[in-house]
Amino acid sequence: MSTVTWITARGLFGRRRFLLLLPLPLLMVLLSVICRAFGVDPGEWGPAVLVGLGLAVVLPVVALIVGTGVLGAEIDDGTVVHILTKPLPRWQIVLPKLGVAAGVTAATVAVPLYVGGVLADSVRLGLALAAAAAVGALAYSALFLALSLVTRRPVLLGLVYVLIWEGLLGNFVSGTKVLSIQQYVIALADRLAPTELLSTTVSVPVATVMTALIAVGFTVLAVDRLRSFSVAGETS
Amino acid sequence: MPEPTGVIHDIGYQRYTGPRLGRRHVFGALYLHGLRTVFGLGRSAKAKIFPWLVLGIVTLVAAGVTAVRSQIGEVVMSYAQFADAMSWLVIFFVAVAAPELVSRDLQSGVLPLYFSRPLPRADYPLAKLLALGTALWLLLGGPQLVMFLGAAFTTKQGMRGVWNELLDLLPGLLYAGLWAVVFASIGLLVASLTGKRAFAAGGIVAVFLMTAPVVGTLSIMPSQTVNELAFLASPSTLVSGVGTWALGDLLEPADQGGGLPIGDFGPVYALAAVALVTTCVALLLLRYRKVAAR
Repeated sequence: MSTVTWITARGLFGRRRFLLLLPLPLLMVLLSVICRAFGVDPGEWGPAVLVGLGLAVVLPVVALIVGTGVLGAEIDDGTVVHILTKPLPRWQIVLPKLGVAAGVTAATVAVPLYVGGVLADSVRLGLALAAAAAVGALAYSALFLALSLVTRRPVLLGLVYVLIWEGLLGNFVSGTKVLSIQQYVIALADRLAPTELLSTTVSVPVATVMTALIAVGFTVLAVDRLRSFSVAGETS
Repeated sequence: MPEPTGVIHDIGYQRYTGPRLGRRHVFGALYLHGLRTVFGLGRSAKAKIFPWLVLGIVTLVAAGVTAVRSQIGEVVMSYAQFADAMSWLVIFFVAVAAPELVSRDLQSGVLPLYFSRPLPRADYPLAKLLALGTALWLLLGGPQLVMFLGAAFTTKQGMRGVWNELLDLLPGLLYAGLWAVVFASIGLLVASLTGKRAFAAGGIVAVFLMTAPVVGTLSIMPSQTVNELAFLASPSTLVSGVGTWALGDLLEPADQGGGLPIGDFGPVYALAAVALVTTCVALLLLRYRKVAAR
């Protein structure tokens, strides 16, 4: 456990604003329990809660807040200089931060997804959803971490991706689904536990390869960007 | 204790003797500045990217809908349906605009400067709210105007057709105003809670997005009353519900689906919308009673 990991974790949990992450997962568990208690057919509420809320909203939004927060917050208030001036290779800064971001996101999202999956179908679906969400958390975190190094407005750019690319275009233009982490996660979960609840057009090999490519590619990009990072004051 | 020896010299600066503009002008200036901030006017190109991206997409969609309509001669999307279809973009626009309006001032600690002017406490948040509301209304109303112009110039019934189209447009603009009021009050309240623009944007999107699946879940419950009340749970469907009740056929003709299935609960939706906006504004004012102390 390196010092960077420790600092990053403390930076995330040390503030009260971490509590902002809790309502989303709680809402998901609550909805699943209510649906189960009233005996609604899982075929009807499963896609709405598990995919509509869990994979389409909770996972990307939590990953966005955490992923841009681990490095973006330090860049914003200028304390990133303290880490950059230490004799550390850049990958030793990026990897621990990515690990913390992915770990926190996975832990926050996998638990409610597991509960929802168990209530909807079976323990197997719950485990499959949790595992797929963990993989997705890694890919999303790598993407948003790199984004916070490429641009000064990582959250807004991330929202463009989540809202407009995955949310809006994904519904109308089916071709964009090939480049959507959300669809990869659905494909992986469906492969691990085949049910009627999850459906996607992306094939499993494509999803696996693309997820790995995104995770590795954006991590390399982040290391590279941090190598030539220039500390500038906020403009505009 | 020695006698104070300091003297204040009059070094001859000219004093201001003209009329002092009062509260109304401060409010007006704040409002205008807020409106310009939302669209990035008077600021660098970077600040214009996101607002104008959204504005561009919305206008493009309106132009496309108009073009298709003039080609095939059928109404593709009514004015109200257009507002509903753009809801994700409106959410994103609020997430861009609201933090710019209030979070920057919180972060840089300039609120004491504002409040040392002849500006009552409540005026600052209200001016910002009005600016955001106006911007949202322009965002939805502008493209509707594009659609109207397209329809008016291609109509085959002469002035009668233009007049009918205008009668369709006016409820649409009213409906856009409803969207603007509800979304502006919620968005500004969330943004005023934090000085970090990034967290404010994330928070706004989370608040709006997490409510949509609640509607989806409640509307498949095995109780018709719950189904008809389900649309209360999310701001965007709440607005649609109020629109269906208040404007009814004016908004969406029955042959095109005819709005949301809210049963006889129309007044409940109207009350809920009023209560929601009132609560948000009240909380916003409460927030700005103590905020400047940081």
